[in-house]
Amino acid sequence: MIDQTSTFGSLREQLLEAAAAFADSPVAVPGILAGLVDDVDRALREKLEIFPVCHHSPASALAMVRRLREKQPKVIYLELCEDLQPLLTELRNCRLPVAAQAFATDLDGFPKSWAPLSVVAPITEASAEYQAIAYALETPGVELVLVDRSTDHVFQWAPKEEAKERKEEAGLHGDAVGVEIGDLRPRFAELEEHLLHHGKVRHWSEWWDQYVEQPLSGADYDTYRQVMVLIGSLFRRLTPDGDRLAVDEDRERYMWTRMREHLAAGGADPGDCLYVCGAFHAASRVEQFGLDSTATFEISPRTGTKWLYGLIPSSHSAIEAQFGLAPGSVSIAAATWAKAVNRTKLAPFQLTGQKGTRKRAGARGARGARGKPLPQKADAAPADRLTGFLSRPPALDALDEAELLGWCVDIVRLARRNGYLASTADAIAVFETSILLAGLRNRARPTPYDFQDAAVTCIEKDVVPGRRDVRRLCEILLGGDRVGEVGYDALPPLARNVYDRLAPLGLDLDKRTIQRALIDLNAHPELVPCSDLLWMLRYLLPDDAVRPIMGERRLGERSIQESWDLAFGKHQRSVIELGYEGVTIEQVLEQRLRRSVWDPKATAAVALAAVEDAVLFLGSRRFADELGARAVELLAAERGVDDAPEVLRRIRRLLAYYRANEPELPAWCEAFVTAGYAHYCTLLPTAFVDDDTGVRQVGAMLGFLFTMESLALALGCDRAQLELAVQQSHPEAPAKVALLWAAHTQLGLLTMADLRARCDELLANPLVVPSVPQYIMGFVQAMEPAPALSGFVVEMISKAFGRLPDSVLLPWLPKLITTLRAGAAELVPVLVREAGRTFPGSLPAVDSWVPPWSARPKPAAAIGAPVASGPVAELLLGHPAACDGVAGLLGCEGEWRDPASGGGAGGGRPAREVTALLTAHPGPALALAGLLA
Amino acid sequence: MSDDMLRAPAEVKYAEELDWLESIDDGPKPFSWRLSPRMIRLFVLGSERSDGLDREIAQKWFGDRSFVERSIVTLASDRGLLLIGDPGTGKSWLAELLSAAICRNSTLVVQGTAGTTEDHIKYSWNVSMVIAKGQSRDSMIPSPIMTAMEQGVIGRFEELTRSTSDVQDALISILSEKYVSIPELDDDNIVFAQPGFSIIATANSRDRGVNDLSSALKRRFNFVRIPVVTNKKSEAEIVRFRTEELLRRHRIELDLPPTLLDILLQSFADLRSAAASATSDDEKLESALSTAEQIGVLEDAILHSHFFGDRTLRAQTLAGSLVGSLARRSPEDLAILNKYWHGVVEPRSKKDGGEWPEFLEGGREAIATLS
Repeated sequence: MIDQTSTFGSLREQLLEAAAAFADSPVAVPGILAGLVDDVDRALREKLEIFPVCHHSPASALAMVRRLREKQPKVIYLELCEDLQPLLTELRNCRLPVAAQAFATDLDGFPKSWAPLSVVAPITEASAEYQAIAYALETPGVELVLVDRSTDHVFQWAPKEEAKERKEEAGLHGDAVGVEIGDLRPRFAELEEHLLHHGKVRHWSEWWDQYVEQPLSGADYDTYRQVMVLIGSLFRRLTPDGDRLAVDEDRERYMWTRMREHLAAGGADPGDCLYVCGAFHAASRVEQFGLDSTATFEISPRTGTKWLYGLIPSSHSAIEAQFGLAPGSVSIAAATWAKAVNRTKLAPFQLTGQKGTRKRAGARGARGARGKPLPQKADAAPADRLTGFLSRPPALDALDEAELLGWCVDIVRLARRNGYLASTADAIAVFETSILLAGLRNRARPTPYDFQDAAVTCIEKDVVPGRRDVRRLCEILLGGDRVGEVGYDALPPLARNVYDRLAPLGLDLDKRTIQRALIDLNAHPELVPCSDLLWMLRYLLPDDAVRPIMGERRLGERSIQESWDLAFGKHQRSVIELGYEGVTIEQVLEQRLRRSVWDPKATAAVALAAVEDAVLFLGSRRFADELGARAVELLAAERGVDDAPEVLRRIRRLLAYYRANEPELPAWCEAFVTAGYAHYCTLLPTAFVDDDTGVRQVGAMLGFLFTMESLALALGCDRAQLELAVQQSHPEAPAKVALLWAAHTQLGLLTMADLRARCDELLANPLVVPSVPQYIMGFVQAMEPAPALSGFVVEMISKAFGRLPDSVLLPWLPKLITTLRAGAAELVPVLVREAGRTFPGSLPAVDSWVPPWSARPKPAAAIGAPVASGPVAELLLGHPAACDGVAGLLGCEGEWRDPASGGGAGGGRPAREVTALLTAHPGPALALAGLLA
Repeated sequence: MSDDMLRAPAEVKYAEELDWLESIDDGPKPFSWRLSPRMIRLFVLGSERSDGLDREIAQKWFGDRSFVERSIVTLASDRGLLLIGDPGTGKSWLAELLSAAICRNSTLVVQGTAGTTEDHIKYSWNVSMVIAKGQSRDSMIPSPIMTAMEQGVIGRFEELTRSTSDVQDALISILSEKYVSIPELDDDNIVFAQPGFSIIATANSRDRGVNDLSSALKRRFNFVRIPVVTNKKSEAEIVRFRTEELLRRHRIELDLPPTLLDILLQSFADLRSAAASATSDDEKLESALSTAEQIGVLEDAILHSHFFGDRTLRAQTLAGSLVGSLARRSPEDLAILNKYWHGVVEPRSKKDGGEWPEFLEGGREAIATLS
């Protein structure tokens, strides 16, 4: 049914005729076309003035400035998460672009795997929302109300899978979810592709610039509003049904409900209010739309998640990356805005004290806001501006020759600086090509995109001489990436605290370049706290933010001088996000360490590392003890021994540190050693046979057991446990067998001679020879638990080199080196030192050199074993027949020796001395005899 | 007329279309151009409904619109145009289309080779005439470039980087002074370029470093880099377009089954990604795997099935052509193809079925024959 009486009656009729003439299916198209007009009509008739915007659109910002000056509204409703409101006053301390951030790590009501949740809303100067915020905050008596759903609802309403699969985004925003006012873009790919194709442009930003931005930049308010709602309505009507549309509709219900509530509570006149929202939402068809609607919407309560809020620096490139805009488009929008402000002589609004914005305009803007309002037009019913807009080609800007010439000269200069052989001739060619390209693309005035193409055509040759190509240089020229900065006053307490504490260094930490800090800790002991803080920041921040060039911090060591590369300006976001975790750096560090040891996946090695960090950075004995106690628990609960090498390394280091610095070992250290002794004894037999446990791990276990043995025994452990464990071990892998032999030797269960004999057997047995290298690797690992074996290991390796056949030796050699490097790097110096002692130092000496193991004198068989004296020897000597018989049976030849002669020469003397002693002092012996009797 | 030629140049082949476009063209034309820049773009990239033309203009070159725009604009400016890209990306075809649209003459071509001399670029002499009559304009043989200058049309220089640097540098004065002097003659010894003269050169980016352009020459050319087409949809368009043209040329009636085209495109896409991840030259095929190569494979398969087969294109024949065209080095290329056949085609034929099993079989046979 066509309503001819309404403002847009004739337009509607025209569109319907067009639909009938062109469309193949007469059902859908007229509905859509008529619907567009209906939407515009409805939005304009609404009592509450709706101001449709698009993000990063200078045209929207210009229209906003004009409208605010004209209307001077008392209340502004803004489509932005309502809980971000307190942050907005802090914007005056920042250099734009910055992003308002809501951050949560403590989740309650969301799956734990989503943590941490982060939402960012970037704010740039060239945006309508910033104009509205600045106006509201700078003008007394104006209320700014954020009406969109809270950040909590962003995740409540998010489709579960999507939230889980959030992608990593490069740039300043990290992996935060972005929210933006005025997201206006086709919702399905085909539509966008169609628009780009027929618009003969490459990307969306260019389409928008050519078909909406430029025609609207000088348009009057009615035209602006009607066109924006029309576009919003078009995209809305062509949006496929889905989760995203459902969320958008819920948001609209939310916003209208909030606005009605606010109006009812405050009693403001709807005529004095302005509702700033994306054009998409202006064309809303939800039943809650409009102040007259009575439809209700149940706003679900927020979850128990605790949200933290702050401002973080943002940048044009971060915004482009996050919202899928073409590279450079936000910078170009900023440049367009600056130019439009100059051209129209309009005074934009600006927060007082804002850094980095245009001062003159700002001063004027503030005055303007307080001072003279523009004469307000009588609120007449809006006339139909759409018909004219749609039927005429847009009035394009005339060629701005001076601007284009400036660009051409600048790009050539910039290209030269980046290694291109560009000259004035190129500037002329770029100028000419830009105009020709614009003409070919139906534009009177070359857009920045035409200029970019022209510059690439004329200057780019076959290779890019420097780091940046001409396309990138054009982006830099047209505004470049701008990075915001959060001012000191808007920083969270922790970040402010960091800046305060680093003030003695005398550096400007706001600079985006790397600052070099030189600290002489002896000459300036007052800088020690700065150094401490830097080490903590080094631990907590990304690697590039704080980098030590000279100086290190390890247990028991202290630097005399330190030099640091600091990049706080570039990593301000990281510092700010630390602020969400605590009030001081120490607190954050403590929390992080505590969290790491209480993590379900924590191991004893992790806990020991945490203890070490706590000692290094916090110096708190109490806290280190707490972490150490946890390490003991973790060790006792462990079922595997994968971390044994790490545990051994760390506990050794900590024990050495405590022995050197403290009067006594902390209780947890003692507990750790005793627990470890029992733990590794228990696991040793299994580890020896388990295929999954490597030699290195078993070596480290034995290392723990042998090197901590004295301490463990002093603390009440039982050596029998270790002996039993070793005896119960029956490995089959050659390397582990070697390790076991080494353990036996260390425990005295096997003599060196036996060990040597066994190894010689291995080398002699052709069936075993191929596995000799593995035995040797086992012996190398055995140097950890039994350092005394290092000489033997050198002997073994030398023998192997000498005796192994080439077919075994040659393939093994590279493996030996790689294994030593990867698995036993710390043992190599020991091995080399031992080898240095064993082998001759000079070349001539080699010829006459005899390996010590070959030159070993034969056991003195002639001398024979010492013969013990005593009643048994005397008895046997007295009656040798039985022994001779047995010896004869066994085939042994021997001779009887008198204990009084040879090895047993002194044998009789002690007996005699004892007898003499007892005779002289019979008292104790008699008492003993009495006692026994 | 185009029927008498094995391959008609673009201006002959599309003569009727160009005439029609010229008749409706009311846009401003630079120099002596026959069409306005917009019409040239339309001729090259084809028309759409939104252009509001009475007849449809087919798309002849497939690629990014901005490349064509930048090329046209360069020719309207003072500089020469150098199209640079991998072999088989359609550089020469674009050059031919542009020349045909701008001046209806795409045949003034100098082919750059190692044997190209300065005479080929400027002029040479008819020796017997010089002996008989002495040096005069009559006994002079102008080069295609000089002819283009005299007529104010586009001259083309194919494979510029294949000719030696001193020969290339003969272009410097032609491009900046726009005249060639003939010191051998006493009068009438300068040939001035007429308005509309420009040069389209093409260069193969794989030849970079063989005969690098001098900075002076680079400065006189605008470079437009044509990338390899990786978009499957447009690649399918190109292959279909060119193959149909070839079929017409050979007067062969043969259907090109879309499934086989898919198989061909898919194989090339796979092999390209394998080449991209290869670490040494031995691990990638010698072929650049360009679109032109695909067309070659398809043409070979079509001709084979037309003359030796049952006049139907089969997957087996296609596989044989693919292997035959790509296996240039033995054993490196054969090894790569063998790996591809066993690692990719075999699982795919099990999973997807269709024509793939036959393709698998044909490839195996071809590899076995060559090995």
